[in-house]
Amino acid sequence: MRTCSRNSLLGVVGLGIVAAAGCKAERVATPSADAQAAGKLRVTLVSASTGGGAVAAASTGSGWGTLKGRFAFVGDPGTAKPLLADKDTEVCSKAGMKLLDRSLLVDPSSKGLANVVVFARKTTRVKEPLPENPTGASLVFDQKQCEFLSPVFAARVGQPIDVKNSDPIGHNTNVSGSDFNQLIPAGGSTTYVPKAETGMPTMVTCNVHPWMKAYMVFRKDGYVAVTAADGSFTIPDLPAGEPLEFQVWHERSTGPNGALGLDNADLKWTPKGRFQITLEPDQVKDIGTLEVPASAIGT
Amino acid sequence: MPHASMMRSAMHRHPVTIIAILGLCLLATGCGQTPPAYFRPNMVEATKQRLTPDQEKQVATVLLAMFGTPDEPVCMPETGLDEAKLRLAAGPVRSDIVGRKNGLYREHCAHCHGVTGDALGPTAAFLNPYPRDYRPGVFKFKSTERADKPTHTDLVRLLHNGVPGTSMPSFALLPSAQVEALAEYVKYLSIRGETELTLMRAFFELDDEAQGKLPETREFLVDETLTPIAEKWKAAADAQIQVPPMPADIDLVASIAKGKELFYGDKANCVKCHGVTGLGDGQANDYDDWNKAIVEIGKEISSGSAKARETSTSGMSPDELSEHRAQLAWIEKFGRVLDGDALEPRTIPPRNLRHGIYRGGRRPLDLYYRIHAGINGAPMPAAKGTVPPEEIWHIVNYIRSLPYELDGELGADKPMLAKDRF
Repeated sequence: MRTCSRNSLLGVVGLGIVAAAGCKAERVATPSADAQAAGKLRVTLVSASTGGGAVAAASTGSGWGTLKGRFAFVGDPGTAKPLLADKDTEVCSKAGMKLLDRSLLVDPSSKGLANVVVFARKTTRVKEPLPENPTGASLVFDQKQCEFLSPVFAARVGQPIDVKNSDPIGHNTNVSGSDFNQLIPAGGSTTYVPKAETGMPTMVTCNVHPWMKAYMVFRKDGYVAVTAADGSFTIPDLPAGEPLEFQVWHERSTGPNGALGLDNADLKWTPKGRFQITLEPDQVKDIGTLEVPASAIGT
Repeated sequence: MPHASMMRSAMHRHPVTIIAILGLCLLATGCGQTPPAYFRPNMVEATKQRLTPDQEKQVATVLLAMFGTPDEPVCMPETGLDEAKLRLAAGPVRSDIVGRKNGLYREHCAHCHGVTGDALGPTAAFLNPYPRDYRPGVFKFKSTERADKPTHTDLVRLLHNGVPGTSMPSFALLPSAQVEALAEYVKYLSIRGETELTLMRAFFELDDEAQGKLPETREFLVDETLTPIAEKWKAAADAQIQVPPMPADIDLVASIAKGKELFYGDKANCVKCHGVTGLGDGQANDYDDWNKAIVEIGKEISSGSAKARETSTSGMSPDELSEHRAQLAWIEKFGRVLDGDALEPRTIPPRNLRHGIYRGGRRPLDLYYRIHAGINGAPMPAAKGTVPPEEIWHIVNYIRSLPYELDGELGADKPMLAKDRF
């Protein structure tokens, strides 16, 4: 080896140059499709039958129950950062008032965590008549002093929402992933009727004032709650006598798609932020205080 | 190792020959060979959804079954796509048996829009604005309401006119059959890309019993996933915005004055983004939906890695430690995915209205559509609902007058440095 070191060095250098210059940029490797499986699958897909095996009949119970609970933050939430509100300052930062980041709102006395969303994933039936609004508040989505007044807003699909602008300046309300991005003139309003479920909550922004941010969540059955300032929530009139699965979300959660993962063996909490519960008819089930550790919340 | 020893002895005697042989080997095996074209998975979404390699493979397999390959596209009847048109547009550039040009997409489009329609073609990074990524199924310039798909005619018109002010050229010189085939192929890539996104997001929605595997049934894959996407495309033709015609006896001078009032007023509020000057210098640090998605992921990664850095691993249980390591590996992988599968995000400047260049078409009707419905994927909001049609026509007239406006220091008759004007 030693004797031919000069020549082999040349070769190595040559190889090195080719490797460095590269034939194509280094990209993350991707798995290739299984051609054989795809061929078989295509036969299934183009066949007229829905060939997928019988769908298990969902077990339905009777009566209605209520789910209650409370989220409390464990640890130091820190102080809310001021937002960079540098447009329309005569309205948006009146008298030097600073708009604050509201993504982690912890009640100082009760440690309650506000704006956690809890909703039923799949339900077999809905209690009639439908309540006016799942959250109990009137269905107005307002903005004032360059801030959305509801940081997290829940509604039933098809329920008309009065999108208002209480500012003396114009805003626009842009619900991402929806058909709604609408000018709202100063002091004006318009109606938005959500057409589809959101899955996890979707972001709402004002493009004129980019710091303005809120979330909306729409469910067909309306079984959705947003925790209040003290961290508490209540979902009434849930179908009883059948297993219900709930999804939990928080804006700053580190889980996938904002899912709030908790270490809670009693409720068999999953990393996807879900738990199951079966209610008895007329039962008001209180799942107590659920502790949210600082590690579940991102920066 | 007789071979190695022969090499060694040969090296003593003929060093030049050896280098020449090495060079030839490199030529034969290295850059020369082009692998067959393939659809690249949406790695940004796959990584965002933390899919496992098995799950990524399942999505690729389902897509292969439903859509075929770039060289041999197939489509499910539910898509309503014309496979003959797709075949004309797909594959490598070549002539078929009757001498007809095939492979139109790769000839005219793929270098910017990418073989996959992911806007990651080799030239994409050099363009401003970036080319359109078809996969989210969001299109800007069309005659339908904000969230609706463009009509086939919208796509054909866009191919015919190009997109003024961008790198997208006009394909008016192509025979109409070729433009038709390309429009169909864009729909195909978009439906494919949106199906892929939907499937990748569906893993999160799975129940735990599914054990991380999507059901490979016709009901789930076709009825629940593909059909709703295809239906939106089919519905576009009947979803055109009904535009009341501009009154024939309109007083244009008065209309322009009213339009100006609306432009600067709190009702239409155009001034906030398009600027007091109309040069597009108002609120200008926002992103469009395509870039915003990358910006948001970037924030998530940097906050995740900041948190991981300040987390002390001492005192962690083995479970916590492996979770911590998995999180670090995910952050590291996401960084590499963004390097290779995303372009550097750019802000979207509001249109400079003194140019007289309108990306979605310069007809008064085109401007009406933009103001009425807003621009899907862009910050531009819809005025419908709060601004009545006749007022939208006033704004259209004012905007059309802006490049020729004579009064004021930005008047078309005033000398001005190009850098200030554009």
